[in-house]
Amino acid sequence: MRLLLVEDNEELAQLLTQRLQAAGYETDVLTTAAEAQTAVTTTRYAAMVLDLGLPDGDGLSVLREIRRREDPLPVLVLTARGGLQDRVSGLRSGADDYLVKPFAFEELLARLEALLRRPGQLLGRSLQIANLAFDTESRQAFIDDKPQVLSARETAVLELLMRRKDRVVSKKLVEDHIFGLSGDVASNAVEVYIHRLRKQLSERGAKVQIHTIRGVGYLISEDKAA
Amino acid sequence: MISFRSIFSRIIFLHVIALVITAIFMPLVLYYFFKWAANDLHDQAMREQAELVAHYLVVRPDGSWTLELPPALHDIYSQAVGRYAYAVLDDSGRVLFSSLKDRSPIFSADPRSSDVAYLETRRGNAAVSGVSLVKEMDGRSVWVQVGEDLAHRDVIIDDIVADFFKRVGWITLPMLLFLLAIDIVIFRRALRPLLNASEMAKKINPNRTDVRLPPEEIPKEILPLVQAVNQALDRLEAGFRMQREFTADAAHELRTPLTILRSRVDTLADRGVSKALHQDIEGMARIISQLLDIAELESFSIDPHEKADLRTICAEVAEFAAPLALAKGKNIALSGSDAPVWVNGNPEMLSRAIRNLVENAINYAPPGTTVEIVVEGSGMVRVLDEGPGIKEEERALIFQRFWRRDRRRTGNAGLGLSIVQRIADTHAATISVENRPTGGANFSLSFARAG
Repeated sequence: MRLLLVEDNEELAQLLTQRLQAAGYETDVLTTAAEAQTAVTTTRYAAMVLDLGLPDGDGLSVLREIRRREDPLPVLVLTARGGLQDRVSGLRSGADDYLVKPFAFEELLARLEALLRRPGQLLGRSLQIANLAFDTESRQAFIDDKPQVLSARETAVLELLMRRKDRVVSKKLVEDHIFGLSGDVASNAVEVYIHRLRKQLSERGAKVQIHTIRGVGYLISEDKAA
Repeated sequence: MISFRSIFSRIIFLHVIALVITAIFMPLVLYYFFKWAANDLHDQAMREQAELVAHYLVVRPDGSWTLELPPALHDIYSQAVGRYAYAVLDDSGRVLFSSLKDRSPIFSADPRSSDVAYLETRRGNAAVSGVSLVKEMDGRSVWVQVGEDLAHRDVIIDDIVADFFKRVGWITLPMLLFLLAIDIVIFRRALRPLLNASEMAKKINPNRTDVRLPPEEIPKEILPLVQAVNQALDRLEAGFRMQREFTADAAHELRTPLTILRSRVDTLADRGVSKALHQDIEGMARIISQLLDIAELESFSIDPHEKADLRTICAEVAEFAAPLALAKGKNIALSGSDAPVWVNGNPEMLSRAIRNLVENAINYAPPGTTVEIVVEGSGMVRVLDEGPGIKEEERALIFQRFWRRDRRRTGNAGLGLSIVQRIADTHAATISVENRPTGGANFSLSFARAG
């Protein structure tokens, strides 16, 4: 998969390219808005990572131009400002997501994966947390590469949580996801499924933990204690 | 000279003085003119009478003079009336005829230099005014003198003057009041745009440097002042903008190297060192973003119509903060109202305030405990922790910029609570802190519910 990185800081661009390459992405690096403008019209990229502060102008102008041409290219904006106005104008100009510097590379990778996994885009690889893996195509969970048998609803909850690893999934979202619009849902139904899933995973030796954020939702993360 | 602070009172004061002076002098001048006109009339009448008397003066063939006045004319000069008198003198000054009993001349001095002279003299207590006219007859000159006792005339003149004041003089008072009223109206109208400009000027503060005084309708005389003020504001705004941009630029310049540093640290072989360095970078990143928050807050002004749902904001903050809390072995929970709680305010700013309170609580809570966010229907948010609490004497200090209990701890510049305080101030919200019965801190932020 080919990515376009527009970043005027050579050092950062080089570091990001290396790591993106290690993660399996071919990356072209450009340093000015003008170059970026030309490149996106001649080459098809899977996504663009765009720094807003460029030497020859605002990265947002590149973004606006792309959206004016109704190009659906997923764009992840990198900004050093992160102020309220910058964020609002960034998203209004058509950014799909943004990251405020200094960001963790894992965060950039996760956001890129999320962008590339969107409808119409190529599906990514399997989801992985510690020794727990989930194949999004076969909808099969693995612990230490051994396939696990889970009920359909447990599988649905696990996939939902794993897609948002280290981020909170609201209780409402879990509810909608497993019960759809079927209506009558017992108030503790979600808790019941989470409890079962948690028990199954820990019994089978998965080094993950499903945290309950009371009043908010659930979060799956690597179990550091284990 | 009395000094007035107000132009309005100054002009009114001067105007009143001018009106009073006019009101006094105008009748005096008129009175003088009346008197002058009356005297002129009198002089003319006297001259005509003298001519008339001369008309009846005849020279006999023997050279002697006769004066035979018709009875009507004779009566005017009778002693009984006493108002008019005549005398005729020859060129040697001898009295030929006189209406007076003692046959004396009316005017003793006899100016022979001119044909006619208007004279005044005193006879007993009375002032007599009249004319002395030279007439040439048969080659000889005679002086015909006619006089009038002024005691009689003054009565009439005084009547006229008194009458004038009675009929016309009263007009000065309403005129004076009318002019005052006009003054007030003119000034009110002239000052209204200035009052509007002052209202605009009141709105100017470091967060609202875009306001300018409206030059429309400002009186021409004051326009240069308004323009100069606006130009001064332009320069100030440019200065403020430069300062704000500097902060934003500084953040940019710091954040990119920090990102590079972070990426390099990731590649370190020693995971322990890498983890410790990561924490230091997190701390620096947090201080930079707080400085940026403060810079942004300095130029933030709230839209009074903006509304925010505390329940949604707190849920978002809890989602955002949960991974941070879990990474430190702590948890977070949300409770209270399940229904939206609408308050007046900017959602992003309220979110930052609550996020700072929550991050602060996470920092001080012991591992294994839960930081609790409580949303109350009254428009209040509480953030509860099970940390050491805040000592009574520290409660006023913790909201000051750069205040830290333990200055040895790094990655904490003591900015978080000052940001909360500043956001509370811009939203007219109250912030309070107390200790829970169990010992932890209880921060509460109370907002005005949206109507």
